Amino acid sequence: MSQPIKGFSHGNRGAGIRNHQLVLPSVVCSTHVARRIATEVKGVTFAHQHGCGIIGDDVAGIDNFFIQLADHPNVNSVLVIALGCETIQGQELAAKLLKSNESTQYRIIQESGGVEGTVAAGVKAAQELNNAFKPASVDIASLRIGIDVGRNSPLVDELQKVLTGAGHTVHISQSEDSSAVSFSHLAQEKAQLIISLPSENQPTSGFPLIPVINVAGIGVLHQAIRADFDIDESQLLDGILDLVQSVASGAQTVSEKNNSGEIRAPRVVRSV
Amino acid sequence: MSDQLFAYKRENGRWGLRNHVLVLPLHSALASGARSIADASDGAVAISHDWSGEVDSDLARILFTLTGYASNPNNYAVLFLTIGSKEEASIIEGAKALGLTRSTTLSLLELGSLEKMQSEGLLLANNFVKEAKAQERVPAPWSAIVLGLECGGSDALSGITANPALGVASDRLVELGATSVLGETTEILGAEHLLAARAIDPEVGRRIVAMVARYEASINYEGIDIRGAQPSRGNIEGGLSTLEEKSLGAAKKAGNAPLTGVLEFGEKPVTPGLYFMDTPGHDIEQLAGFGAGHINVVVFTSGRGTPTGSAIMPTIKVSTNTPMYSSIPDLIDLDAGTIADGVETLAQVGDRIFNEIIEVANGRLTKAERGGHHEFALSRMYKTVIR
Repeated sequence: MSQPIKGFSHGNRGAGIRNHQLVLPSVVCSTHVARRIATEVKGVTFAHQHGCGIIGDDVAGIDNFFIQLADHPNVNSVLVIALGCETIQGQELAAKLLKSNESTQYRIIQESGGVEGTVAAGVKAAQELNNAFKPASVDIASLRIGIDVGRNSPLVDELQKVLTGAGHTVHISQSEDSSAVSFSHLAQEKAQLIISLPSENQPTSGFPLIPVINVAGIGVLHQAIRADFDIDESQLLDGILDLVQSVASGAQTVSEKNNSGEIRAPRVVRSV
Repeated sequence: MSDQLFAYKRENGRWGLRNHVLVLPLHSALASGARSIADASDGAVAISHDWSGEVDSDLARILFTLTGYASNPNNYAVLFLTIGSKEEASIIEGAKALGLTRSTTLSLLELGSLEKMQSEGLLLANNFVKEAKAQERVPAPWSAIVLGLECGGSDALSGITANPALGVASDRLVELGATSVLGETTEILGAEHLLAARAIDPEVGRRIVAMVARYEASINYEGIDIRGAQPSRGNIEGGLSTLEEKSLGAAKKAGNAPLTGVLEFGEKPVTPGLYFMDTPGHDIEQLAGFGAGHINVVVFTSGRGTPTGSAIMPTIKVSTNTPMYSSIPDLIDLDAGTIADGVETLAQVGDRIFNEIIEVANGRLTKAERGGHHEFALSRMYKTVIR
């Protein structure tokens, strides 16, 4: 690897290449309030449809998924926004997060005076977190990189060699249809950066906490929307190390610029 | 109260209580673009969802939901955002077949980038909004109202105050010739026999019993006893003991009218009357099913309180207890806790809910509409874990 990357020291979460404040809605019902807070404090949030109406293994599964996202190395602090009566209880989620990272707070809509009260309380809490937890700069010698393989590409093995040769750790996830579930999987593997080779039938996609480098295939759709991709597959082996270096150092990927990225949590049981 | 309804007349006899321009992404990667267009527009609305075109066991359910939602009569027009797949094309064709007359489709494949889709989309959405604002409400019959009945975050007062009061309002509307739809299969488990006894014929009665049994079997199939998993923790903290107690209270939203028919998730009722729709108790998935079933106004009773709203259906929220109503003033439209406090009778609160439905149908904005609450969730039956 040519030179160390200047990253952010995020306590027990590890070293990140982004310094995100995560506003985490513990249930679909609080996603809109979370978005209003995140917009105000320039934090990161995402819409999802989970947190309630879940049973069986999904209760622990979704809870664990949220914990994994909150403990991601690209996250500096976490503000949990709960409704109050949902299955995944916000204060219990926050208590679990606090065990490993002090930079966690929570607010509950049903106990904070409704929407406006929670937005005001949430903005204040987010600012307190930002003031109290300033990340130190840290040199990152090697990255954890996730590769999302959505199409048959002869280059995947070579790509892995190039990245590991430069000192990075690589985790591969196969996605047959879309990249969404694969990204969730790679996030749980704590990948700081993702390289996605989406299926030829799929557009580019992003992930709220992790920069995603989208690699264009040669098919009709990908070449038609080439502007949404960061690099062509034909340039991949020659260009990837420079691109990784630049994105890890702060350059935004196209999907980051477009603010794209929805999260789909893995589920094993239907909603009730 | 106003005793005349004014609504937006649609082609083929349908009525809208709102004149929305809906920006509908047909792929999850286009959801943030849809939201940006709606936020920047002069009044268009958008939803987000997490379907990325997967062709799996849930495909038919997802296509049915999005097709019905797009063709809801509260939509003046729909701007479809697509990547250019044949599944997306089938949704658009299906929505037109169900009565959607004004729509434009933007294809990522043709436009070349998300950025271009957003700039083109904003112009098109604003054109539709301008047209929609020019259309005027006209006198409408009572049958124009298709009411959805929902509850969430129930407590011990739900079955005593807000739910039976909503039942009074629902009965009056059905009597006048409107349609009322009760949802949430989870929440009638154990009370289905009471609804079956009110069925207009034995076949409808058999169908609702079978529908509930099918639902319970689909949960038991996963090795889980739903009667052990419900009521939820929030319900228990609110004072509910068992699923059956919760259900007996929840069913009161449907009053005493005869049960005209039962509907599959997202299916639209074709004649007026009282219906039951097979939906999950998950409030947001359930609202998506109502939207797909062409319901145009919803009353949502709650013991714990929720910000929930819908992009296209005005959602009136009624509290079951006064302390909650007072503690979260910007979430709840009406308080039914006055019944427990001895301040009002059931009939009086029923009247207030009835009047509020008419006022909201005629254009008064609900608190969820004013707050911009547009939560949406697709209902899935199968697992989504990584292989």
